[in-house]
Amino acid sequence: MWNKKKGMLRLAAVLMTLFSCSRPASQQSVRRMPAGQEFSGYLSTYANLKANPEFDSTVSYVSQDPVKNIHKYVAVIVEPPVVYIATDTDEKALPDRGRTALAEYFQHAITDAVEDAFPIVQTSGPLVLRLRSAIVGVDVGQAVPADQKDEKSLERPINIGKVGVEMEFVDSEQGQQIAAAVDRQSLGEGVMVGSANFSHEEKFRAATQAFDGWAKRLREFLDAAHQLSPDDVARAEKTNFPYAPQPTPK
Amino acid sequence: MTIKSLPALVLLLPGGLLAGEISVFRAYVDSDLCARLMLGPITASRIECSQSTVKEGSEPVLVHLRNNLVLAVNKQKMIRPLAGQLAEVSGEIKANSGTVKLTSANAITAESIPQGDAARRLLDVRTYKTDKSAQLHEKIRHELAMMPYISEFDFISFTQSGPDVILTGWTVRSTNRSTAYNVVKEIEGVETVINNIEVLPLGSFDMQIRAAARAALQRQLSRYFWGNGSDIKIIVKNGQIILLGSVATKSDSDVAFIQCNSVSGAFKVFNLLRVQSSQNKSA
Repeated sequence: MWNKKKGMLRLAAVLMTLFSCSRPASQQSVRRMPAGQEFSGYLSTYANLKANPEFDSTVSYVSQDPVKNIHKYVAVIVEPPVVYIATDTDEKALPDRGRTALAEYFQHAITDAVEDAFPIVQTSGPLVLRLRSAIVGVDVGQAVPADQKDEKSLERPINIGKVGVEMEFVDSEQGQQIAAAVDRQSLGEGVMVGSANFSHEEKFRAATQAFDGWAKRLREFLDAAHQLSPDDVARAEKTNFPYAPQPTPK
Repeated sequence: MTIKSLPALVLLLPGGLLAGEISVFRAYVDSDLCARLMLGPITASRIECSQSTVKEGSEPVLVHLRNNLVLAVNKQKMIRPLAGQLAEVSGEIKANSGTVKLTSANAITAESIPQGDAARRLLDVRTYKTDKSAQLHEKIRHELAMMPYISEFDFISFTQSGPDVILTGWTVRSTNRSTAYNVVKEIEGVETVINNIEVLPLGSFDMQIRAAARAALQRQLSRYFWGNGSDIKIIVKNGQIILLGSVATKSDSDVAFIQCNSVSGAFKVFNLLRVQSSQNKSA
């Protein structure tokens, strides 16, 4: 009986593993930053955001609800990021493949940044967060000269000089916002992406560094939100003793 | 340690073993549960723990006597009857995954291990008693308690033999495994660290059990859940629940056991909660 149950569990585990690849960013309809607005409107709420003294140009929120806070979750679903073009950008100048390349690279970067602290899963559940993110304010530059083009080149390079990111962790079942941050740190200043082959071309290293930078700040934000209070540390020390025999003086 | 030469890959593993070679080594046959909790000297209470938990369904594992490395085996039937005993084992060790492909296992006695052999030293409870160790022990405990990503579903523990530390336990986050290793390795006075912390799979079945067990315990025993942590640790592995930590009374321990037994989908509950009142009496 025991072995049969264990066999079924193993089968379930194998099936889970087969389906455990991260969902790729897919082609998206064009989303545009609303005129005259501070935020894109992608996050479930902006009402709780406050300036974060530990991170320049960032407003953030971390739930202090004793039942629904970031300490109560152990895994995360990473949603494909969405791209918001700048208010006055001509959407025809920014093809799907360019936006998809940006979103895919950012998804890769944020997945890398969070996965050892919050393992990535595909199924929502009571201990699972959903990470939703948006790259906001993407623009296009001047047309790429014909002699610099290859088959992957875009007609006009993507300008991420004024891009910011909006991110939130929500309860994967109920959608309640658990933590959020809007990061306007200008990590991509002066950076243009001229090809859809975003992650493999040497000349776009600056762009990948910008996205890696935002992902790193996401992890730092998570780590800061997850720090134990002095009271928590004191109580953990008071109660957490190893089961193995403890050394005693000779 | 004897190494019989067989067709081998050329990868050199920690400890000088060649990957793909059959090695013959001495081991203690433990349960997965007790090996993660009580690594160190083989005392009467550990033997009792090994035998009872294997009988109750915990997987039998081998603990390499030379370095306390915990090894899962491919043929559990071969070592299950030897739980709580020493054995001479032959098999192919895969140190990176903490597994061994068994070819044979035979019970031996402690007396058959030569005097001065490292295996015999690790068996001896006196190995774990040194003048300076108590301070170092406290320092290690403090550093592990400060790790930020420890939840109710993680239990990180350790055993110390002089400057050598063996990390044990279970975690749902791989970062806890590496962080524990790194913080302990940095502590002055620590020379070697063996990392036996197991990273638990996050299948949705076990996740449902974790959430349901925590909810049930929080309802009935809320005083043990505080701030961002808890005194009760809920380890869930393949449908089994292991209750660890401390509670004030035997009745609280019984309530925890009953509550977890009522969790839908849980096959088995191992109640290893320590009762503070009985600890105080015995102290």
